[in-house]
Amino acid sequence: MSDATPKMSFHPQPQGGIAKPWAFPAPERATLPNGLTVLRCHRPGQQVVAVEVNLDAPLDAEPQGLDGVATIMARALSEGTDKHSAEDFAAELERCGATLDAHADHPGVRVSLEVPASRLSKALGLLADALRAPAFPDGEVERLVRNRLDEIPHEQANPARRAAKELSKELFPADSRMSRPRQGTEETVERIDAAAVRAFYEAHVRPATATAVVVGDLTGIDLDALLGDTLGAWTGNTAAPRPVPPVTADDTGRVVIVDRPGAVQTQLLIGRVGADRHDRVWPAQVLGVYCLGGTLTSRLDRVLREEKGYTYGVRAFGQVLRSAPDGTGASLLAISGSVDTESTGPALEDAWKVLRTLAAEGLTDAERDVAVQNLVGVAPLKYETAAAVAGTLADQVEQHLPDDYQAQLYARLADTGTVEATAAAVSAFPSDRLVTILVGDASAIAEPVRALGIGEVEVVSG
Amino acid sequence: MRDLSHSAIEGTYMPMGHTATQQAGSGGLTATEHRLANGLRVVLSEDHLTPVAAVCLWYDVGSRHEVKGRTGLAHLFEHLMFQGSAQVKGNGHFELVQGAGGSLNGTTSFERTNYFETMPAHQLELALWLEADRMGSLLAALDEESMENQRDVVKNERRQRYDNVPYGTAFEKLVAMAYPEGHPYHHTPIGSMADLDAASLEDARNFFRTYYAPNNAVLSVVGDIDPEQTLAWIEKYFGTIPGHDGKQPPRDGTLPETIGEQLREVVEEEVPARALMCAYRLPQDGTREADAADLALTVLGGGESSRLHNRLVRHDRTAVAAGFGLLRLAGAPSLGWLDVKTSAGVEVPAIEAAVDEELARFAAEGPTPEEMERAQAQLEREWLDQLATVGGRADQLCRYAVLFGDPQLALTAVQRVLDITAEEVKAAAAARLRPDNRAVLVYEPTAPAAENENAADTENAAENENEEAAK
Repeated sequence: MSDATPKMSFHPQPQGGIAKPWAFPAPERATLPNGLTVLRCHRPGQQVVAVEVNLDAPLDAEPQGLDGVATIMARALSEGTDKHSAEDFAAELERCGATLDAHADHPGVRVSLEVPASRLSKALGLLADALRAPAFPDGEVERLVRNRLDEIPHEQANPARRAAKELSKELFPADSRMSRPRQGTEETVERIDAAAVRAFYEAHVRPATATAVVVGDLTGIDLDALLGDTLGAWTGNTAAPRPVPPVTADDTGRVVIVDRPGAVQTQLLIGRVGADRHDRVWPAQVLGVYCLGGTLTSRLDRVLREEKGYTYGVRAFGQVLRSAPDGTGASLLAISGSVDTESTGPALEDAWKVLRTLAAEGLTDAERDVAVQNLVGVAPLKYETAAAVAGTLADQVEQHLPDDYQAQLYARLADTGTVEATAAAVSAFPSDRLVTILVGDASAIAEPVRALGIGEVEVVSG
Repeated sequence: MRDLSHSAIEGTYMPMGHTATQQAGSGGLTATEHRLANGLRVVLSEDHLTPVAAVCLWYDVGSRHEVKGRTGLAHLFEHLMFQGSAQVKGNGHFELVQGAGGSLNGTTSFERTNYFETMPAHQLELALWLEADRMGSLLAALDEESMENQRDVVKNERRQRYDNVPYGTAFEKLVAMAYPEGHPYHHTPIGSMADLDAASLEDARNFFRTYYAPNNAVLSVVGDIDPEQTLAWIEKYFGTIPGHDGKQPPRDGTLPETIGEQLREVVEEEVPARALMCAYRLPQDGTREADAADLALTVLGGGESSRLHNRLVRHDRTAVAAGFGLLRLAGAPSLGWLDVKTSAGVEVPAIEAAVDEELARFAAEGPTPEEMERAQAQLEREWLDQLATVGGRADQLCRYAVLFGDPQLALTAVQRVLDITAEEVKAAAAARLRPDNRAVLVYEPTAPAAENENAADTENAAENENEEAAK
């Protein structure tokens, strides 16, 4: 035990120097003659350039019974153009050292390109071709549909994804697109063909309603000329703005167990719907939710992980589902994680105890201070890369927020007090208005969960 | 190329979410090297573009140093490094770094354990103070309570990432076949439940006394730093920690270049689809042959224009996904990992025959010039991504210092990949990507898949759980 007495010299904890100024980058905004909105941002040193394109093709625009067509269209954008076959397109893109991803979500389709600055010109040309003149060949679309059908059982088997699916089904009314899987079900995906993909494209993809965000080290790049030759050559008509359907949700406190006989862990997803970034409460909600479950030292993990060892970690978070210009959007507020099967009841009991204590006693000033210092302090590291900056700028566009939203958010976080943060966290996670999804062994967990009194318990098959 | 790191590396906590990385001019980067009297090696690299600084500490100890009956100890121990030291209470390490606007974590792999903090530049000194405190005085705080708690946390990490997900133990099984019983790389860093249960507080103490010494570590600091001041702080905080030579060398990892036969294991489990996975012994990291093998795997199974993707996913339509991953190892043969998930109704032999055919043709003909260009461009971008953040750069500098004795090699790694010829790629494939050099793992589902007609979904709420809270 002699080495319990260290032989090193100790010094007091250093206090830190003076923070150097840093601000979230302000993009330059412009509109090309074809109506495409362009945001650009020069980030010295970031030589892999990130390009994000928002297409106003939201999931609720999918025709009845064709859930998944937005996803198949997004994937099919890179399956050949008027200049390249599907295989050649993939090869040309990789020859640039580029990656191109596209995915469909409630607010719209997002296409993301990353490429070394030295090859931006060629890659931007390929991206423009994909948006301007996708070929949507019958055979490739059919293959994407079959591939998508093959993916579904894998997603079904994944406990976290299975839980998310069940929560959407529980929270939202059956006629809301949000209640159904983002990428469709076997039944709807099977119906998708090239004609449906092309019709969706024709109806919803056009430069006038799209935005491109370009971020990176743009030294020596004539971006205006480059855009003119590439995305500027994309043509299309204008479209009337689409109405955004209101989001309603049923957050009556209840429990659904998705039965997985023999599972060694229970996946937890506890959620409801709340305010999005347009709401004045957002900064306080960010702060309060961080204090509740943002990290290993937040209230939930302090008990569930660091005291009890029930879990590798649980997180509380707010994720915008869809926003509207008039502020009627919503976000999903949830607590997520997994716990060993036999600790399921005790872990939920502790989680509710944490929520009730928070409501009864509130956050402490020290907790609020540390949270603000973290959330504001990490900004320069969080936005070190071009992709991170581009992603946030594109999110802002997608959510109908001003370009300086993120920059202002840091100031608002710093101005948010303990009382506001407490109120926001408590109203985000009221202990009697939470829908709890448990993917686990019902025979082992149903009884202990019923005993907690956190709502009716229903068991469904896995 | 599919990133295998998540399978080979165990972390300390679920991170808050990492954004994709970007490049930051590897061309202009430089690094200086220093050594304290106690043997601590230090690497510094300046970059003043953003007011951030990364601290990274690699200890030259990983799961290969573990002994029979104590698998998982290096990783469990890594968790204990966050449980306080002489001047840092409980979770203080996390609290202080996060409270200063920093981010942090630690990970354990076969060959090393790393700890890292990325800080706003003006808080760099705090990270150095914290790392020094636990390097020099962990045992002053380590107790039974932390041990029992983190044992439970790590067992839940194992359940979450391996035991409760389909195909979750595939990597473990492949590694166990590719590296024989008794070999230091036969087991993965997560370890077995039985061994995690068996580890004692005294084991942890002995582990610290044996491996955690300044002369068994490399410290790198990268970013908006004043090198002179940084070095002075390092001397102040780390300089009096005594070095020692308690470390035993790891057991010899030498193996024949090839397995010498085709090993095979069929797993009947409740998985959503049949799968074919193969592990190949590949050249050791740090050699031209390893870079050549990396390019071969990229041409064959990296990205959407690879040969196996085109053959299985595009043309034959027999697979949902097909790709190769590479686990680079310096102390034993590296591991190439093929992962193919079959489409509905497809049998494994059909896939296997197609894979054999593609690999044999590639070994005979080598890559085309276009394939070389694509593979090199992809690997170049992956490298630029590694070097894009101060944290990524700090990690690579430590890696080359610890595993190859020269941090400068991190700054020239891209060029080495670009220097490889098509002939070398062909030779690597011919020598290694052979049926008698692979361990085959076949998954056959036990329950009829997709019995629920309401099928699945890709709701990504849980996936986005780590979205940064300030967004």
